[in-house]
Amino acid sequence: MFGWEFPPFQAGGLATATVGLVKGLLRNRVGVTLVVPFPAEQSPLPELRLVSADGAAEELVMHRVPSPMTPYGGAAEYQEIFSTLRRASRAPGAVYGADLFEEVARYAALAGGIAAREAHDVIDTHDWITFAAGLAARAVSGKPLIAHIHATEHDRAGTGANPEICRREHAGMQAADRVVANSHALKRTCVERYGIPAGKIDVVHWGIDPDAVAPDLPADSPFRARGAGARVPVVLFLGRVTWQKGPDYFIEMAARVAAHVPGAKFVVAGQGDMLPRLMHRTAELGIADRVHFAGAVAGRQVQRLYRLADVCVMPSVSEPFGLVGLESLRHGTPCILPRAAGVSEVIANAFKVDFWDVDAMTNQIVALLRHPALRAELADNARREVEGPRFSLEEPARLTAAAYTRTLQGSPA
Amino acid sequence: MTAICLYAQVHQPFRLRPYGLFDIGTGAEYFDTEQNRALLRRVAEKCYLPANRLLADLIRRSQGEFRLALSLSGTLLDQLAAWAPEVLQSFQELVATGGVELLGETYHHSLASLASEAEFVAQVERHRAAIGRHFGQRPVVFRNTELIYWDGLAPLIARLGFRGVMVEGADHVLGWRSANHVYAATTAPGLRLLPRHYRLSDDIGFRFSNRAWDGWPLTAEKHADWIAASGGDSVHLYVDYETFGEHQWADTGIFAFLAQWPWECLRRGLTFAHPGTLAARAPVAPLAFTRPTSWADMERDTTAWLGNRLQEAAQQRIYGMREAVLAARDPALQERWRRLTTSDHLYYMCTKWFADGDVHKYFSPYESPYDAFVACMNVLQDLEQSLPVPMVEAAPPALASRRMLAARRAAMV
Repeated sequence: MFGWEFPPFQAGGLATATVGLVKGLLRNRVGVTLVVPFPAEQSPLPELRLVSADGAAEELVMHRVPSPMTPYGGAAEYQEIFSTLRRASRAPGAVYGADLFEEVARYAALAGGIAAREAHDVIDTHDWITFAAGLAARAVSGKPLIAHIHATEHDRAGTGANPEICRREHAGMQAADRVVANSHALKRTCVERYGIPAGKIDVVHWGIDPDAVAPDLPADSPFRARGAGARVPVVLFLGRVTWQKGPDYFIEMAARVAAHVPGAKFVVAGQGDMLPRLMHRTAELGIADRVHFAGAVAGRQVQRLYRLADVCVMPSVSEPFGLVGLESLRHGTPCILPRAAGVSEVIANAFKVDFWDVDAMTNQIVALLRHPALRAELADNARREVEGPRFSLEEPARLTAAAYTRTLQGSPA
Repeated sequence: MTAICLYAQVHQPFRLRPYGLFDIGTGAEYFDTEQNRALLRRVAEKCYLPANRLLADLIRRSQGEFRLALSLSGTLLDQLAAWAPEVLQSFQELVATGGVELLGETYHHSLASLASEAEFVAQVERHRAAIGRHFGQRPVVFRNTELIYWDGLAPLIARLGFRGVMVEGADHVLGWRSANHVYAATTAPGLRLLPRHYRLSDDIGFRFSNRAWDGWPLTAEKHADWIAASGGDSVHLYVDYETFGEHQWADTGIFAFLAQWPWECLRRGLTFAHPGTLAARAPVAPLAFTRPTSWADMERDTTAWLGNRLQEAAQQRIYGMREAVLAARDPALQERWRRLTTSDHLYYMCTKWFADGDVHKYFSPYESPYDAFVACMNVLQDLEQSLPVPMVEAAPPALASRRMLAARRAAMV
């Protein structure tokens, strides 16, 4: 399996998805060798064979491919990441490509060698950045190739989509023996925008890793209200602060909710290129003292945020799946889901909203903040729903393994 | 005979820790004591101690012909007293030579003049008391934070007992007139204005070590020639004290320059005068400052501190708390709040990255102005929720309405 992000190298939900899939496959007794494009010290899972392209020691079952790739960056963002990495890198002999595409090509060049050394039956890849590596591996081993698609360039960048990335997404999915999409919405995008035959695409919705949630963590808020028993209502945005996630709609909503619920606070957790604009906008709307920017959060802090929030909002412009929704609900925090997201296809107990409908969002949030009964009812029902077997790690992995099997049966290899 | 009025500003702020969302309500320290102490020690070693020694020596050897003015902010005095008492003593010894006139300013190097008259008066009086206590002087000339001055402020400064003000000799104020005279404030006729000659000042303060400048290398002879050639009654040269050894490192030759410079000036028939002496002279004309003018950036206005909405939001929030902070009658709390009024906190939020921005970046402990904003707003949140009296009740409008309610109740009886 060719991945790109794996804890602790994590910029968004894709690392979480990869860990989830790998864990689930292992539990379904599917052996996994994961190739990662960064120096990995040791495999976090005992049964997982983690490979990077720099195998210095025999007993170390990994090879390093030092790489400044991130799955979210466009080609422009690459230069900055590249220069930061070059400064930070102390690895001798680590040579980076001049741009993102060169980097992808280099990663692909190493993939063939790894495919020749590592025994495998199926090659799985994750999004365009690993497709070239998957194709190179298939050229060496002749094993069937699966293209896992988590999000397309159209989801990430909208009208700003990079045509070269779109072309590679198309080429990868076209050449793959089978495509796995994480929602029906994403499958539609692949069919309608990329011309991939619908019969070639399996839909596998994500589950959630019970190890990654702490639903019984006490709700410990940094905000204090005056008066006995009084508490400060908190509305949470958690995700990359980029166009795709719609954080600007969150701020517009915050201004309206703030007018109705005077004590409410709004927390924006995450990093991204839109932060400066959002901060200016909070000042412009006169709510700079109501919105707190938590920056990058991880692990325990994420769990704490879910637990202390009264409602989590996902105003995503595009959200192929939306793991944050599952995580929030699993922590007992009602969530407002993007109507068109994959998570909305499988969750019943949540408000669903169109990202542009700030008024609807405001109504839902004000109602949730004002009526504890509504909050409790929604939270309990959603949590029960998310705790069901459908959202385990085993179920999506079982479906993925079934896709592997189908591919193997249908494949000449 | 032209007199030279040399004045240097000595100031250090209490910089904040990178105070995050989860620090709110934990009782975590606001100020980065480690960093502040380390920076003070560094500046003391590189600048304060050697510059004090050199100036004291020049004053003694010239038998008082060489003289200058210093202004020490209250936050600097607090830091010296706490972390470097021997440096405070070094300043006291320098002042004891009789060659140094100390100026008045706001204790916390704040922008109170733009926000709250009551706070401005409180900080100026506190500073005057501190200068009396540490140095046995009563300042007669005032320098507002960053030389911010406009006509509207003059009556207040006069009422506080000052006879002169250090002002920026900005082009938009002087027009065709020379900075080398003593002027009168238009709104307080008894108050004298001493406009900074910014070119001759910045030759030392900014350009001294700039090899791309056609005046480089700047020798004492050359600079003294320029001063002599600029004519007028008095040349007002104002710089940061940290110019000597910190902004311009010792290896640029700045101390050798300073050691020779007074002699070159005296040799050319120039004399040295204290601002208090010049402020006793008759003015040549009134000088109008129709809007707040400072010595910062190309604009010479207040946009380095209040030029964007983030800065305005933070400033409003700081001064919006004043009544509630004072009502708490807790000296430690008041001091914490007053340290937040220091202009540097707003300066770090400046987004004028280009042209002037490089200077801002040099002086900022933050990676970006947005990080500065986030830390400051988190601290303000903590301060706000730690106030024993809620802000709404302490704010003046609420007090007024309570009085009105009481009056109405009294009328009903």
